[in-house]
Amino acid sequence: MNKIIQIASSRRTWAWPYILFMGLFVVLPLILVGVYALTDIDGNFTLRNFAKFFTHSEAIQTFLYSVLIAVFNTVICLLIGYPAAYIMAQEDFKTPKVMAMLFILPMWINFLLRTVATVELFNMCGLPLGEGALLFGLCYDYLPFMIYPIYNTLQKMDNSLVEAAQDLGANRWQSFWKVIVPLSMPGVYSGVVMVFMPTVSTFAIAELLTHNNIKLFGSLIQDYITTTDLLNYGAVLSLVLLIIIALTSFFGDHDDTGGEKGGLV
Amino acid sequence: MRRIIFVFILYSLFLIPVQAQSNVTYELKVGTTAENAILSDFPESYTGEKVNIRIQYSAFSIQQTDSLDFIFANEELPLEDRFASVYSYTDESETAWTVWRSLKEPKNRKLQVRTRNGRDAFEQYLHETLDVHRSHGWIWWVMAALALALALLAVCMQIIQRRKEKSLSSVEQETLRRQRMGMRRHYISQAYLWVLLLVLYAPIALIAVFSFTNSKILGNWTGFSLDLYANLFTGQADAGLNSAIWYTVVIALVAAVCSTILGTLAAIGIYNMRARSRKMVSLLNSVPMINPDIITGISLFLLFVALGMSQGLATVCIAHVVFCTPYVVLSVLPRLSRMNPNTYEAALDLGATPAQALRMVMLPELWPGMLSGFILALTLSVDDFGVTFFTKGSGGLETLSTFIYSDARKGGLTPELRPLFTIILLVMLTVLIYINFRNKKQEEE
Repeated sequence: MNKIIQIASSRRTWAWPYILFMGLFVVLPLILVGVYALTDIDGNFTLRNFAKFFTHSEAIQTFLYSVLIAVFNTVICLLIGYPAAYIMAQEDFKTPKVMAMLFILPMWINFLLRTVATVELFNMCGLPLGEGALLFGLCYDYLPFMIYPIYNTLQKMDNSLVEAAQDLGANRWQSFWKVIVPLSMPGVYSGVVMVFMPTVSTFAIAELLTHNNIKLFGSLIQDYITTTDLLNYGAVLSLVLLIIIALTSFFGDHDDTGGEKGGLV
Repeated sequence: MRRIIFVFILYSLFLIPVQAQSNVTYELKVGTTAENAILSDFPESYTGEKVNIRIQYSAFSIQQTDSLDFIFANEELPLEDRFASVYSYTDESETAWTVWRSLKEPKNRKLQVRTRNGRDAFEQYLHETLDVHRSHGWIWWVMAALALALALLAVCMQIIQRRKEKSLSSVEQETLRRQRMGMRRHYISQAYLWVLLLVLYAPIALIAVFSFTNSKILGNWTGFSLDLYANLFTGQADAGLNSAIWYTVVIALVAAVCSTILGTLAAIGIYNMRARSRKMVSLLNSVPMINPDIITGISLFLLFVALGMSQGLATVCIAHVVFCTPYVVLSVLPRLSRMNPNTYEAALDLGATPAQALRMVMLPELWPGMLSGFILALTLSVDDFGVTFFTKGSGGLETLSTFIYSDARKGGLTPELRPLFTIILLVMLTVLIYINFRNKKQEEE
């Protein structure tokens, strides 16, 4: 009995249930994706699923297309979001908190409903649905994820560095490129990761925004994984996506502004 | 004065492209041969041979109507079949037009043609098949002239201002120039943000506005009405929607409560670990946050398949706890590092059991972090689509997200969703404003 109390009072052990839970529902499932990818329907080891992926031109094309769309979307979000974050972080900007709030607020509306509304907006304006609508919708959904981290780093930046640069003879343009931009890179990295990762794995939105004309990798995975016979092949596709995600999160490892989402409330 | 002119110029700059580009609806109104009949007067037994098509463009609430006659080829056919010739165009080019017919509603006997290919295609069609050209209405010309005049006025004012300044000394000129640069930058950056917000909120505004009309289709205004709100609250909405709301609430509450308890305990544990194991667990903690929805969903789906668990409410709850808990951990951890670590030990030394010490020493310190974790978990759970989609199984369990998805794929959106989300938006807005005010007050204190 004493021993139990001792274990319970050493607070280190309080994380055990969580670790166990995570082991069962996070680590094990991820391992299972690999296991399913390497087996056939009867559970025998096989590499045929992988071979199928490399010869399956539709899958590879969809994959490359999705990555391309994600890259485009990230670049667009960066180009639109950086100036916005920069303006909000200026010292003479009076209502940065309200503005930041206004940019985040749309995220509390269900993103599917927003997407449907975007589709309706395109219809009402007589604009065609398709690639343009897809990029607009994606950018619309993920722009706050870009603005928020950049704004955070810019706001925390020591403004005296900019002043020092200007005292030393740099003009506005130079001080922007040589001081502000390098200092805001952590925010840019985490913004890029936070936009790129959900975009590359997106599903459901694309079908709505393009009237089922464009299929992204996420939708392809969805199709295969929900078909019982093709579940193992779906696991291979998920594994490919997982690799992309892992690579991207290595890229975003520089960020020290972690827990961005945690800061939203 | 300068400010007003600036706003006017901005307005007029917007106006021209918007006027030229925007067309909200094409209304095909049915008229008699001689004159345009009012729609409600249009008799069911109409036998005339001409239908008057009115094309309505609108921008900034100015409506402009072009009108042309459309002669149906087959006069002997009943009216509905003759309208079918408009539909047949729709069907032939499949994605080209979607035609909504509300002819059968007695109040609203008109055809609305919505195009997916844009106005150009519609006009081309009109031009080629009917030899009709559209010309700009007089309002367009007035507006364009107004915009041009305003722009000219602004340029003139600028020139006069410059002339005046020439008499000033060079130092004064320099400071004036500086000031003006600053002002210009200020206006441009303000305008940039507001335009961005305008675009960002346009779809949401669309939902909110159309929650006050009772039409089935989003984008079709059939007069002000609070019917949708009434339906939502009296439970007359679609049965699927009601159960979806119910399930969403239950799942969110269960997931938030479980993840708050689990996450708080875990945070305390992690905080008291040695540096190395703390790093390991933190890494483990960040995995579900980095993982995109679809991967979390699929991996859990595979787990449940492998374990032979039947998927339903329980599996969705587990899945939601999985992706909510890390955020709770992250919101509790900073609280822990802010509190004095010795108070807990002191309580134990003074004879409290670990449970008592937790309840009476730790919880009062930790609850703000737990609360924000709880709220975050609630919102994440309500908003989730990807994970729910893969773990809900095929037993007919739907949350709001998956309900909207299946609804949208069927083509229509249950109208009662519009008031529901308008209310959610308003509630969120109030909460955020409240939080903002509270923070301000705290800062002042």
